[in-house]
Amino acid sequence: MAPTPRKPYSARHPLAGALFVLPFGLVVLVFLVVPLAYAFWLSLSSRSLALGSRFTGLDNYVTAFTDPQMLDGLVRVVVFGLVQIPVMLGVALAGALALDAIGTRFALAYRLIAFMPYAVPAVIGALMWGFLYSRTFGPLAGLPTLVGGEPVDLLSGSLLLVSLGNIVTWSWTGYNTIVMYSALQGVPRELHEAALIDGATPVQIALRVKVPAIRQAIALAAIFSAIGTMQFFTEPYVMARFAPEISAGYTPNLYAYNQAFQFSSFNYAAAISFALGFVVFVAAYAFVIVRNRLGERA
Amino acid sequence: MPAAPTRTSAPLRRRLGAVLAAAGLLLVAACGGGEPATSPDGKVHISVWAWYPEFAGVVDAFNASHPDIQVDWTNVGTGPDQYAKLKTAFTAGTGAPDVAMVEFQEIPTFLILDALIDMAPYGAAEDEALYAPWAWSQVTDGERVHAIPVDGGPMALMYRKDLFDQHAIPVPTTWAEYADVAARIKAVDPGAYVASFGSDGGWINGLMWQAGCKPYGYSITEARDRVRVQLTAPECRKVFDFYGDLVSRDLMAVDPFFTADASAALDSGKYWTWAAAGWTPGYLAGSLTATLGKWAVAPMPQWTPGANDQGDWGGSTFAVTAQSQHPEEATIVARELFGRSEQAWDIGLNKAFLYPLVNDVAGDPSFTGKAYDFFGGQQVNEIFVPVSENLGEFEYTPFQDLVFSELNDRSAEAIAGSRPWGTVLEATQANVVQYARSQGFTVIE
Repeated sequence: MAPTPRKPYSARHPLAGALFVLPFGLVVLVFLVVPLAYAFWLSLSSRSLALGSRFTGLDNYVTAFTDPQMLDGLVRVVVFGLVQIPVMLGVALAGALALDAIGTRFALAYRLIAFMPYAVPAVIGALMWGFLYSRTFGPLAGLPTLVGGEPVDLLSGSLLLVSLGNIVTWSWTGYNTIVMYSALQGVPRELHEAALIDGATPVQIALRVKVPAIRQAIALAAIFSAIGTMQFFTEPYVMARFAPEISAGYTPNLYAYNQAFQFSSFNYAAAISFALGFVVFVAAYAFVIVRNRLGERA
Repeated sequence: MPAAPTRTSAPLRRRLGAVLAAAGLLLVAACGGGEPATSPDGKVHISVWAWYPEFAGVVDAFNASHPDIQVDWTNVGTGPDQYAKLKTAFTAGTGAPDVAMVEFQEIPTFLILDALIDMAPYGAAEDEALYAPWAWSQVTDGERVHAIPVDGGPMALMYRKDLFDQHAIPVPTTWAEYADVAARIKAVDPGAYVASFGSDGGWINGLMWQAGCKPYGYSITEARDRVRVQLTAPECRKVFDFYGDLVSRDLMAVDPFFTADASAALDSGKYWTWAAAGWTPGYLAGSLTATLGKWAVAPMPQWTPGANDQGDWGGSTFAVTAQSQHPEEATIVARELFGRSEQAWDIGLNKAFLYPLVNDVAGDPSFTGKAYDFFGGQQVNEIFVPVSENLGEFEYTPFQDLVFSELNDRSAEAIAGSRPWGTVLEATQANVVQYARSQGFTVIE
């Protein structure tokens, strides 16, 4: 935490700060605050097709938290996140540590390559994987035949969620690698040298010195990933045309989309969105508290 | 999308009033747009949303023959994508086009959103004799005309004539024979299937229609808040029992339609038949190459031997939206974009491969006698046209997207093995009824 200046600039020039903030503030207000407020207002009423609109308070929220499709979707993204996020962050951390240790021109090229999937729009990425998973054209479904097995359908049953997880991991591992690598650049080299002099092996340096030093960055990446996972939408939305098992309520965000734009229930969709936002907020806050407690103990 | 990279919040406590005022100005400025409908050229401009292939030529033909009206066409997306935009526009109260392409099953959905006008006062009722009766009944309600039919999808059975001939398998005329054929195909080629159960709401709906299952009823002029949903009727059950049995015995594949995989399967001999629609020849002609000329069309297998029961899969209309400032001109556009326009139908039939619902066009020898290379020179419209002529009335609910979505999701559960096929319709019925009641409908079960 930076110390607060004793004589704040804003106290001497009361309007200056507001003027600087104005352009950004306008964007936030028009594209974030106003839509959020409107959506919240929508969620408090019900506009039924036959009866028109009426104020129903929190009824939509009661419905959302007792709707089996909503709850199934919620459980699905939580389970998904519990597996996918550790895998992704583990690979990203290993990559970042390796990059940090190598530090050659090869590392620069590798950083660019690792980052590339993140630059591919999610819709394009999902379509591309849809073809890679294809039973007819894709190279993956036929892999088991190399060892005498049967071709598998990667877009149904228990493999469906794994296949989706693979797409997300592909998209975001490089991004997280770069985040952690950047944090590693900020670790003082003296620590590194001191550990070397003390006789630590490279693996010990990585695990005992570097990883603890970038705890904050890892935690941040974890929180962002968790929030993103709760909002899981693009990949299942695109994949639904290849995979009939992706139902209207496969993820909470997909459910909100379908309620609004397929089933004309804009109010309920708004309530689902806010309910999801609430869950994300509580989960993220709990995560921060737990992390801080652990941090104090360490 | 997972992991939003940045989520910044700005401190806005200071000068919030000034910011709010400025934002208000910006909002006003942003909403101030709006095209003048009559432009300096003196024409009334009518905006149209549609996704027909080769539609630009149809629009040009209309504009050339109508000196006072200019159609401004936009393709905002296919099917659900366009409907999502339309529903948003109607909910917002602004932003809809004058005329929109709407599929038959969506008409009640837009009616209950008060999105479509009655075109009868503008002369549309005169067109009744022009169109196939089943189609006209779907776009009208009492004296009201809600849309103008364009194309349809009378169903028939496509099959691999070469393979059927080679193995001396007779073309099935009943569904019981179809099941036998499915087993014989499996015996001949273990990797082949009689067809695929494609998880498509419109397709299964056409099969239900053909089976005499007419589970929905709705008339906005009789009662806005009353709807009939009877998905568990015996005529509906027999369809799901039949296909569930074929899928369970692995005689029918489960690949979704309209994917690269499905096209490849059709083109590689994996599927030997497809219960397809009148527009299918055009759809397939471009994507199948290896099996070109090896397909043929036969009438749909029947549930009762010797019967002549038919179904329809798909089809679309033009409707005038309630947001149109020029309903009279918009009605002319809806009626005459295709209507009796020879130029438009020349494009529609020969480039876009639409199945025409205009009686004169469908009955014209140039259409019925047209030979298709894809079907080995067969004049397939000789089969499709009588199907359309035999179709009876069929109604939809004002929430048909939900019904189709439920049918697909519950079927997918059955395919995945997590639900017995026998409960697909019960579960769908229960969920649809619950939704309808939550929307304030009285449901006739």
